[in-house]
Amino acid sequence: MSGRLAVVRLIAGREVRERIRSKAFRISTGVSLAFVLTVAILPGILAHDGPTTYDVGVFGDGSDALAARLPVVAAAGDRTAVRVHQLTGEDEGRRLVRTGALDAAVGGGAVIVDKKLGDRLAILVQGANRLVVGEAALAGAGVRGDAAGRILSPRPLEVRALHPKTKAETDREGLVFVGTVLLYGQLLGFGYWVASGVVEEKVSRVVEILLAKAAPAQLLAGKVTGIGVVGLVQLVTFVVLGLAAARLSGTIDLPAQTVSVAAQVVGWFVLGFAFYSCLFAMGGALASRVEELQSTTTPLTFLAMASLFAAINTGGDPGGSVAKVATFVPFSAPMVLPIRVAAGEVGLGTVLLSVAIVLAAIAGVMTLAARVYAGGALHLRGQLKLRSALRADVP
Amino acid sequence: MLQLLALSKRFGDVVALDGLSMTVGPGRIHGFVGRNGAGKTTTMRIILGLVAASTGEVRWKDRLATTADRRRFGYMPEERGLYPKMTALDQIVYFARLSGMTAGDAARSAAAILDVIGLGGRRDEPVEHLSLGNQQRCQLAAALVTSPELLVLDEPFSGLDPVGVDALAGVLVDQVGGGTAVVFSSHQLDLVERLSDEVTIIDQGHVVATGTVSAVRASRGADLLTVALEDGSTAWADHLPGTRVVRHDGGETVLELLAGADDQAVLDAARRAGRVRSFRREAPSLTELFREVVSQ
Repeated sequence: MSGRLAVVRLIAGREVRERIRSKAFRISTGVSLAFVLTVAILPGILAHDGPTTYDVGVFGDGSDALAARLPVVAAAGDRTAVRVHQLTGEDEGRRLVRTGALDAAVGGGAVIVDKKLGDRLAILVQGANRLVVGEAALAGAGVRGDAAGRILSPRPLEVRALHPKTKAETDREGLVFVGTVLLYGQLLGFGYWVASGVVEEKVSRVVEILLAKAAPAQLLAGKVTGIGVVGLVQLVTFVVLGLAAARLSGTIDLPAQTVSVAAQVVGWFVLGFAFYSCLFAMGGALASRVEELQSTTTPLTFLAMASLFAAINTGGDPGGSVAKVATFVPFSAPMVLPIRVAAGEVGLGTVLLSVAIVLAAIAGVMTLAARVYAGGALHLRGQLKLRSALRADVP
Repeated sequence: MLQLLALSKRFGDVVALDGLSMTVGPGRIHGFVGRNGAGKTTTMRIILGLVAASTGEVRWKDRLATTADRRRFGYMPEERGLYPKMTALDQIVYFARLSGMTAGDAARSAAAILDVIGLGGRRDEPVEHLSLGNQQRCQLAAALVTSPELLVLDEPFSGLDPVGVDALAGVLVDQVGGGTAVVFSSHQLDLVERLSDEVTIIDQGHVVATGTVSAVRASRGADLLTVALEDGSTAWADHLPGTRVVRHDGGETVLELLAGADDQAVLDAARRAGRVRSFRREAPSLTELFREVVSQ
């Protein structure tokens, strides 16, 4: 290994050791892990949670017929069950709905609810009411029994999708979306660490000793590499633990492309981090106090958030114009590409072009960041303007 | 040997250094003196390669100083800086390794230097838990850990109590005994005078005097006469030929003896004015020289 690389490795090694030891890292890891595991496990638990049971009271004329039909409608619905309560009248219905003992009370041509009638409960009570009224009308016309049943409860239309979405696809898209949010969090969180790491070395004044021992580009490369490695290892850990938890809790059947999706998210983290961290390092070099980071990194945070919105938009419309443009913008490409690939919207050529654009952008921001870092590292008082940092003559 | 040859540095329209030259030999302590903003820190940063000189050369061992040379120099910046959460030992090892030492050498050397400066017992504590004085020692250890051939110390004594000053002075003398060249800046001129073999006084980026302390003192020519009369009167000294009154200090009169003037004539004049309680002749101290130089 050449001397220059050895120095970068030393600096990166210190970053890795000190970051992992820090309280901030442990807390952020705990919080993120809790988020990942919740997202991974919760849907599985909810799916096994059985049907939602509604308590519905009936009163007045025709309440017997309604009581008989509510369970029939519930049985036809999606994971819905009903407990029917015979009431003495509307007053009791109002009282029990108010106390929360009942979800709804039906009678006298009205349904009494506390605030609003939810969609699923509406389907239940309106459906039962339609059945009762319809049966009575048909009975008046002499149609009873199975004949009435065929009229009032016809066989539902069969759905024939031309491009049916399989569960695997839905799972994969969900997986990619969670991966994108995770990617955004890692890029922003660890990018900010680079910025604060740069400014902390200025605040503690240790930067002057460092600059006497290593070139600014080496210091920058070491810091970005060290913090990036910590971010990468943390991301891989989240992905592996999240997928394992999701598999064990039955949230998803891991689709065949799981490894490919995970690899893409991780790969885009590497590229995205190289890009974002250089910009964050510039934000750090322009500030001389941690408080000033707020203003020096705001444009960057804003662009990252805009990219996340573009990614969310892409999730809803992977072939839309936002998605198409965002594919070739270095800020948003890392978050948008995995979604579009999972949706089958882009081919290898587009991916390679996007990667090439991001790589070119990385080369550009690395050069720029090294220049700004060198110009700003010894500027220890007051916020520095980008132009002044670029103009500073450095050894 | 370190040679600075005609260093100049401009920051925009501001001239920080203007043709500064000085030499620091091995085993010598070189005091670097000047007012705030005179260019001391800029000079030291140029020696370390932190700031590029506009013109001029930094030579080490009779050739241009390289990046590799500079990595081995020991440096203590004016703005002290360490990683607050790292332990003293880890920190010194890290700096040693950045200077190019192997892991084993760095660990051994860091442990040894922390013992020398009296921090051996606290080497595993985070620096932020150490007192300011001990943090300063740790800073010095960072500069010394590579056993550098050149030590560049910017205001190393500022903020130290008298015991700390003596301890640091002792360490410097030991280093110089081993052949290290030391250049240090300070505003404590009595200390500079006591410790330094050579001294350079700069003002507004110019060297106004450089050389051994005695040579610099002598080069400024005029000796000083300090005379006190028993009645404390001072008016007798006004307009005395061959002299210039530097100041009246309590009952004492300090006179500069101009070239060719006779100190005995001054003594006679004083005796005519009254009983002389004390009369002494000496070369100006560095402090007096400095005052004179920067007030011109």
